[in-house]
Amino acid sequence: MSALYRFFRSVRLAVVLILIIAVLSIVSTLIPQGRDPSFYFHSYGAFWAQLFLILNFDDFFHSWPFRIPVGLFFINLSVCAVDRFISRRHRRARRRHGPDLIHLGLLLLIIGAMVSVAGRRESFVYMGVGEEIQLKEKYIIRLVEAEYQEYEDGRPKDWISTVAVLRNGELLIPSYSIEVNKPLRIGGVRIYQSSFAREDRALLLDQDGISSTITNGRGFEVEGGLIVFRGIEGKSAVFERWERRTRTAVYRVGIGEPIAEYTVGDLGSREVSGLNAVKDPGFIPVVIALIIVGAGLTLTLIQKGKDREL
Amino acid sequence: MIATIAFALLIVSSVVQAVYLLRREAKVDPFSHYILLAAAVLLLAVTIERSIRIRFVAVTNTFESLVFFSAAIALLLFLYRLRAKDRTIPYINFGATVVAIALLAIASSPIAPKEVVPPIPALQSYWLILHVTLSFIGEAFFVIAFVCAIYYLAARNGDRRKSLDRLTYTTIAIGYPIFTAGALIFGAIWAQTAWGSYWSWDPKETWALITWLVYTAYLHTRFVKRFRGKVSAVLAIVGFAFTMFTFFGVNYLLAGLHSYA
Repeated sequence: MSALYRFFRSVRLAVVLILIIAVLSIVSTLIPQGRDPSFYFHSYGAFWAQLFLILNFDDFFHSWPFRIPVGLFFINLSVCAVDRFISRRHRRARRRHGPDLIHLGLLLLIIGAMVSVAGRRESFVYMGVGEEIQLKEKYIIRLVEAEYQEYEDGRPKDWISTVAVLRNGELLIPSYSIEVNKPLRIGGVRIYQSSFAREDRALLLDQDGISSTITNGRGFEVEGGLIVFRGIEGKSAVFERWERRTRTAVYRVGIGEPIAEYTVGDLGSREVSGLNAVKDPGFIPVVIALIIVGAGLTLTLIQKGKDREL
Repeated sequence: MIATIAFALLIVSSVVQAVYLLRREAKVDPFSHYILLAAAVLLLAVTIERSIRIRFVAVTNTFESLVFFSAAIALLLFLYRLRAKDRTIPYINFGATVVAIALLAIASSPIAPKEVVPPIPALQSYWLILHVTLSFIGEAFFVIAFVCAIYYLAARNGDRRKSLDRLTYTTIAIGYPIFTAGALIFGAIWAQTAWGSYWSWDPKETWALITWLVYTAYLHTRFVKRFRGKVSAVLAIVGFAFTMFTFFGVNYLLAGLHSYA
């Protein structure tokens, strides 16, 4: 037991683990993350693709080759933190609380990050003015106004979504402007202004005259493939035919003209606001951890300055 | 125009430093650091002038970041020259001045567009200002540590090596907390405010973490006898190389969220 304790309290082990984590992180930035398995086979060949997929290198920071050294580092850091505390009590060494705070903050940071990995939830939605979304069970967010501001050169200046919030059917917040860098906090969830877009809609009529609406990016199945509605260009709807992963045809279809077994009944566009709802139970522990680390770093600088080590 | 004058001043300062370093009698030049101060003031004036025009602190693209970074290096070199009595300081100043010149040369190249344009929505945050400015101030200390470490590996004299080792350590010990606060702490808070995710494993974030890990390892090598000296110096050099890769390499070789800076 004492041999294990000595092993884990070693600063040399800390240096080695830190460098191993650094090298593994470098490897992760050289291999594109989160791609389809076929991408790795196509880019690296069968042997390397299989190796990457077995080791989970396509999602590296959730993989065991990354988690194991981070886990060992967590144990190493914990033991070092405890050992510093104990040895100072025994040896009455000079009190250096800065590094203690940094170590404590880093431990809490790793715990907070693990809570985020396990509990973070995210949901993206495009909303038009007047539309509502249900948030948890009791909250409803209604988009009252959406404004897209541009600079003179056409670059985006600001995206502003003015929303009203209802709780159990009653108006809780009559008006709040969600902007980039200014999210709305409600019931433990933060709602972020993510993007603005034009949403194109095509009204499709089937042979029985029953209508359905399709928005850009969506599609429907046909024999041997998929027809995807790309959007409106001029007065025509643009559809693409996809067979497996290959686009085989592009169709420009006007109102009253056929596409597969449908007829285009009407076309229209509107501005929509892209909102991202995020719930992250790990964020508060991470913020506390960052404050502790910051305090520890400041204290270390002050102490070293006093001791004339700098 | 002001940036060009600052660039010329840095070159003049480096030439004066080189002339005095090459002279046989070991005499420290009396005024090159004042030229560095003048260059730093002019570069900060560029930042202020652009900030007034865009109505935001001008650290939102590669050119503006490099101007601020060079100003921080020049100002720091001036302060070190005033305060430190160490005989190695003129050599360190010369090496670090050359780094500042190289950074401004990159700023003047086509890879850093110079148009004065206001920031896009994601960049309109005070967290971003803290993130960028503190990161570069921390990295300015790393520039000095880098030059010290190279000089340490090249030096043969025991006393000189000892003093260079100490200077490398003190600059990293000061730069590290500033870099940590700027690059990681305020960066994470800004990312949370802008995108709802304090960490996304974006290549630039990952490389900033890698750089931080290398400097963390450096600081811990001070406690391991076997690692002191050469290993420490090599880590200080690798840390700076990674700092530069995080700034330039990631932008051009690896895609991610930080495509604007």
